[in-house]
Amino acid sequence: MSLFSELRRRNVLKVALLYAVGSLLIVWIVDGAVSGEVAPFWAKEFVLLLLAIGLPVSLIFAWVYEITPEGLKKGVDVDQTQSIVYKTGQKLNAAVAVLAVLGLAALVGEKLLPEFEFVRLEPVEEIPLRPVYDSSESVGVPREITAYTMANGLRIVVWPDHDIPNIVMYNFVRAGGRNEYPGITGLSHFFEHMMFNGTSSLEPGEFDRIMEAAGGANNAYTSNDLTVYQDWFPRSALKTIFELEADRLQNLAIDPDVVESERNVVYSERRLRIDNDNDGRLYEQMLANAFVAHPYQFPVIGWPSDIENWTQEDLESYFRTYYAPNNCTMIFSGAVSPEEIFLLAEQYFAPIPRQTPPPPVRTVEPEQAGERRILIESDAEAPLLHVAFHAGRAADPESRHMELLLNILTGGESSRLHRLLVEEEQLALNVGGLQMEGFDPGLVYFYLTLPPGADIGAVEARFLEELERIALEGVTSAELRKAQNIILADYWRSLSTINGKAAALGNYEVFTGSYENLFSLPEDVGAVTVADLQAVAASVFRRNNMTIGVLRAAGEGT
Amino acid sequence: MTLHRLRLAAFALCAFATSVVADITLPEYERVVLDNGVVLLISEKHDVPLVGLQATVRGGAIQDPEALNGLANLLAGLLEKGAGERDAAVFAESVDAVGGRLSASAGLESIRISADFMARDSELLIELLADMLRRPTLDPDEFEKLRDRSINLIKAAKGSNPGDLLPSYGNAFLFEEHAYGNPLSGSEDSLAGITHDDLLAFYENHVGADRLIISVVGDFNAEAMQSRLAAAFGDWRAAAGEVAAVPAAPRQTGRRVLLVDKPGATQTYFWLANIGVAVDYPQRAELNLANTVFGGRFTSMLNTELRVKAGLTYGARSLLARPATPGSVVISTFTETSTTTDAIDMAIDVLQTLHESGIDDETIVSARNYVMGQFPPRLETAAQLAGQLAMLELYGLDMAYVNDYAEALEAANGASITTTIAGVYPTTEDLVLILIGDAEKIREAVSEYGPLTEMPLSETRFRP
Repeated sequence: MSLFSELRRRNVLKVALLYAVGSLLIVWIVDGAVSGEVAPFWAKEFVLLLLAIGLPVSLIFAWVYEITPEGLKKGVDVDQTQSIVYKTGQKLNAAVAVLAVLGLAALVGEKLLPEFEFVRLEPVEEIPLRPVYDSSESVGVPREITAYTMANGLRIVVWPDHDIPNIVMYNFVRAGGRNEYPGITGLSHFFEHMMFNGTSSLEPGEFDRIMEAAGGANNAYTSNDLTVYQDWFPRSALKTIFELEADRLQNLAIDPDVVESERNVVYSERRLRIDNDNDGRLYEQMLANAFVAHPYQFPVIGWPSDIENWTQEDLESYFRTYYAPNNCTMIFSGAVSPEEIFLLAEQYFAPIPRQTPPPPVRTVEPEQAGERRILIESDAEAPLLHVAFHAGRAADPESRHMELLLNILTGGESSRLHRLLVEEEQLALNVGGLQMEGFDPGLVYFYLTLPPGADIGAVEARFLEELERIALEGVTSAELRKAQNIILADYWRSLSTINGKAAALGNYEVFTGSYENLFSLPEDVGAVTVADLQAVAASVFRRNNMTIGVLRAAGEGT
Repeated sequence: MTLHRLRLAAFALCAFATSVVADITLPEYERVVLDNGVVLLISEKHDVPLVGLQATVRGGAIQDPEALNGLANLLAGLLEKGAGERDAAVFAESVDAVGGRLSASAGLESIRISADFMARDSELLIELLADMLRRPTLDPDEFEKLRDRSINLIKAAKGSNPGDLLPSYGNAFLFEEHAYGNPLSGSEDSLAGITHDDLLAFYENHVGADRLIISVVGDFNAEAMQSRLAAAFGDWRAAAGEVAAVPAAPRQTGRRVLLVDKPGATQTYFWLANIGVAVDYPQRAELNLANTVFGGRFTSMLNTELRVKAGLTYGARSLLARPATPGSVVISTFTETSTTTDAIDMAIDVLQTLHESGIDDETIVSARNYVMGQFPPRLETAAQLAGQLAMLELYGLDMAYVNDYAEALEAANGASITTTIAGVYPTTEDLVLILIGDAEKIREAVSEYGPLTEMPLSETRFRP
């Protein structure tokens, strides 16, 4: 008698199978309990350990013991003619089958049935606090959203929403300040203007005239990472929009006379946003100093000499490379179906050829080796203090942690820095914070407006002391919870309009690789801990990682 | 003409020929008047778990006593700085802890509290609102802080974006002593003169149940919302004072110029203005079409000439303010210092063209499509709807203001629009000019437009 047939006879193999299927089911249930926060995070490991210990024990037990009508007996004590191991085996088979069906149902159910979810119990806090808006309010990725990549590489995402009879289109072009170099700084932004200035078949201004006559409006913006085009229009204008958008991607005219006139418009914009705005002037110098290698150092609007001097050839080659369908992501949201959009896209965009992808941005900003300081003397009654630290990319989980931390520091009247610097000690008129969330590591940026005559050095010291306190002591769980609630409420506000939906979908698709990540935001935000925030503070808020800028009247004390 | 171009032209023609059919109707809402005069406007909207609320207190900045400009706005700000059992810090914490948004400010004719909360926090929202309006702490220390900060923020704005201050100088010079010329948030001078007692008196006289409109739209049960609001406000007192009526400001004749000197400015910001019409102006559809064509969209006459064709500016537009009595009609833009008079001349020429040429039928259809096509997103969210309902109630308008708008736009034609243009837009001879720029470089040239008044940007008031 071989060992194998004896294992079979004694039902050891069946017990092993039963054990395996049962274990899977148990692990799955515990897993659900952990993610539902009913069980502690270590519960899964603990159960796995128990199951591992239990396996040899139950197999040995099955080998040694046998179930008889009189109860459990050692196998060696059982008269083999009276043995009911066969019947026991059948019962075991049935048990395996039942468990397997349960397990299969659970696996399939993850996809088809309502999600297996424990109701989360709110932990009791030391002070009465509103709970974090839990993820049960999020419904996962809405099924009506459909994405599609055309043969020429154009990526399209559609979110139907028939609340109002309007549609929003966003075209995210991967061209921004980071794709520029000395001599062509500001070119991405200049194209944002040129895209409205005529094609081989439309005179300058006709694009806008046709769109507005059809009831549509448009705008565009350029950042360090992207140039984004926006159309807001009634459903009845849908075909017109495709016609216009395809035309300018395919047939843009770069008329030298129009280029000259448009240089003046861009100059006017530069005077408005930078030259005549103290915050704009200081921000431009801050970026130019915080980055020594990476192209985030260039002002998006461009240095004046580049605005004056870029050439026809610069414009043509830039357009060819960056306005290719494979470098664009289009989002539609509103009163439209994905089928309508995809049919129109095939009709209008398919003829636009794919191009060689743009060269990658290779330069990585080297680690900053010490504090940097800049001073602008200007005609300013109220001095400005800006402080920047190198931080991460949009796609880094740490950027989510920093977003929460910035909320705790500067988001709203109850935030730490507003309470301390504006309300309690009245050292600043206002204080704000933001982070550049782009393809490459950006900055965490604070901007303070100080009262006339302020002791700028004293304000700086007080401000930095508070940042260092975060790194040393962390934040409270109440503060984290508040920041989570603010971000989740803003999330719902952004999804309450078709414009907000298109903007959010596009930013997630472009910066994180998939629009689906937008819908895990409630869970992602809920999972962040106070330790995460302290860790990101300690890694970012370091003096050697800091650029500090002051704008004040000439001769005023620091 | 290429085939492609023909195709585009065909589409453009389609757009001209077929009008945009927009569903411009307000949602149904309940209007309830409590015994003490509080007006409740309530409408359910369940697409997202949010509640938008606006509390509107009739009165506003035009009730500021003589020389105390900014008083209503200071009071509005102070309502957030502690109320009921909560001090300023705890109040702010209560809003932020639930991710709520709440802000209070004074407009010309009302003090407005706008709030946007998650639906599950509706009860908290009503509690905070009732505390702000009925039980504000009005703490003297918070008052001093807010007043000093407001003064310093005006100083900061002069450096950071002088264009933002253009309306304050513009209204002061255009309306002269009329209440619509008062700077909403005061001047450095007027704020410095306001005392805590002034603030308490304004609260007693100008905040009360008979002045209050609460409009609320969102994800709630209307009946429950109504009974909660009635419980929170049903037994409130009336305001002690009366709303002083404002006479209609007279149309300005001739030209006059104010130059606000910002030494070293590389561009000039300017207004060309006169007195226009009030909120109840009957040819609203005609006027909105005319203003869309003149300076209300990217392809408007002003933006086409000054930006698209001449490259003189980043943007040029025309603005209409329509409060209870006639407000301003304004051409607003900015340009490089050296092209100041080019831009002013061109703007005046465009105004002349508007009067002389009127608007052709094709452009009327285009403007109508544009106005209709861009209308639905303005009433998309609960907060937007709450704001619209409050505006209608404040000015005694009804749903027809929105619901009959599409029909009125359809009815407007070349003749009725021409009449409207003649009645509302000033002639090129009757213009009040307000400029912020480098006086040394432009003083002489701009004095050609009319009698010149000059003041430095560093002056601590907006009225010359």
